[in-house]
Amino acid sequence: MISRKEKYKVNLVWAIGIFIAWELVAFFLEQVMHDPMAGAKLPYPHSVIISIAENFTDLMSAAGLTFSRAVFGFALGAAIGFVLAIIMSLSKIAEKISLPYLIISQMIPVLGLAPIIFTLVRDMNTSRIVIAAYITFFPVSVNMLSGLNSVESDKKELLYSYAAKKKSIYYKLMIPYSMPYLFAGLKIAAPMSITASILVDMLGSSGGIGVKLLYSLYSGTKDVFWGSVVTSALMGILSYFIVILFEKICMPWRKQTT
Amino acid sequence: MSMLNEIDTEFDDRNIFKQREEEIEIKIEDLSMVYQDKNGGEPVTALKNVNLEIKEGEFISLLGPSGCGKTTLLRIIADLLQPSSGKVTVRGQSPREIRLQKKYGIVFQNPVLYDWRTVRRNVCMPMELLGMKKQDRTSRVTEMLDLVGLTNFGTHYPYELSGGMQQRVGIARALAINPEILLMDEPFSALDEFTREKLHEDLLEIWTKTKKTVVFVTHNISEAVFLSDKVVVLSPHPGRVSAVIDIDIPRPRNMESKQSKQFYDYITKIRNSFEGV
Repeated sequence: MISRKEKYKVNLVWAIGIFIAWELVAFFLEQVMHDPMAGAKLPYPHSVIISIAENFTDLMSAAGLTFSRAVFGFALGAAIGFVLAIIMSLSKIAEKISLPYLIISQMIPVLGLAPIIFTLVRDMNTSRIVIAAYITFFPVSVNMLSGLNSVESDKKELLYSYAAKKKSIYYKLMIPYSMPYLFAGLKIAAPMSITASILVDMLGSSGGIGVKLLYSLYSGTKDVFWGSVVTSALMGILSYFIVILFEKICMPWRKQTT
Repeated sequence: MSMLNEIDTEFDDRNIFKQREEEIEIKIEDLSMVYQDKNGGEPVTALKNVNLEIKEGEFISLLGPSGCGKTTLLRIIADLLQPSSGKVTVRGQSPREIRLQKKYGIVFQNPVLYDWRTVRRNVCMPMELLGMKKQDRTSRVTEMLDLVGLTNFGTHYPYELSGGMQQRVGIARALAINPEILLMDEPFSALDEFTREKLHEDLLEIWTKTKKTVVFVTHNISEAVFLSDKVVVLSPHPGRVSAVIDIDIPRPRNMESKQSKQFYDYITKIRNSFEGV
């Protein structure tokens, strides 16, 4: 076990290390290899930071748009996934009927599905939300279901011995027991929903970080492009840590292992 | 039939305590349990023609080696299993009726605590199911934690407790709704010897205070002798009652009782009853 303070040190060393390594590689590309595309392939990280700072309000409003729709879709997808898992655990028939189709649904590439959804709903915001929800519900549902299915029989027997009703069994045992599984699913889904939202941006939205990525790529504004890439990455990471934060709040009974 | 039952209970109510004490709480008649092998193999007879009577307020142990069907017998009484043939009557009713009336308290081999609930809320759980009022629950939980010696651990989560403390929570929870019958399935078998001896004494103290009928499953001879009014010795293949031994060691029992000649005589007697099995 390492202490909190030591953890910060480790992270700091890593961050600085990566920054320096990146600077060195960029320098190598530009000055040693004399690569004319060096700026596009791997720009100096300090120049990326400067460009983010210069375009800060622009990037943030674009990121905010994409992020908020992703969060909406994520919440919707998580709720659907949760309810589906409960239904499948309540009825084995429902599980047998729906699970194969849920799996098939995930085999359709989002890249192909997104335009279909867009033509159906004819609204960028709704499309973002629907696609993010579509990406989210599956890992949430499958993880939650595996949690519900792995409740130990002696824990159920305890409630059985008190003649507990089905509703109590779910509220008092099945759902709280499955929380760690639910959060495992949410952790997978959160960055995915951001990716999905960015993808929908690229289909011809008027705003959003995906649009920034696309335009800067075509117009050759490398600094803005890399700034957008870093912002997108940070959005994914942020979404992950928000889920972790919720997990810590919702499950104080778990041993703090990290 | 229902008319008869009503008359019975009315009659019971008029009885004075002395007579009730001698009353049969649990009656097991010609009970057999056969497990069918799902893969088409030989069916396993876990219990064969078991007959047993347990009196109200009595502490009885079901003692035997693995595979003697002692846990099976307990689970049938608890209505967690249905017997293949024979009958169990608890206070003139079926185990199912007693379970539905929430009159059983069960302590499992693993404490079976809910990790996401604090000690207080674990003990509280059966009372929630019973629909008790919040303030009644709170005072009852405090009472129960005092009883099992965990007064200061109410806000802890199960993972913060030792195995012995977890099992105490299990006992507090089982007693929380004041059940008629306490069923204990090898509750101390996973604990170290020192913790177990402490819990033996504490359990007897709790039992003296609450006067429940206790059915206690164990494979530990000295544990059975120390705790029980009556030890039911079960032998395996097929599981059957091979001896019923009344334990007349005076109560209250303590560590000194464990050093008495009487105590060792009972252990020898029970051990001999296993000979030739």
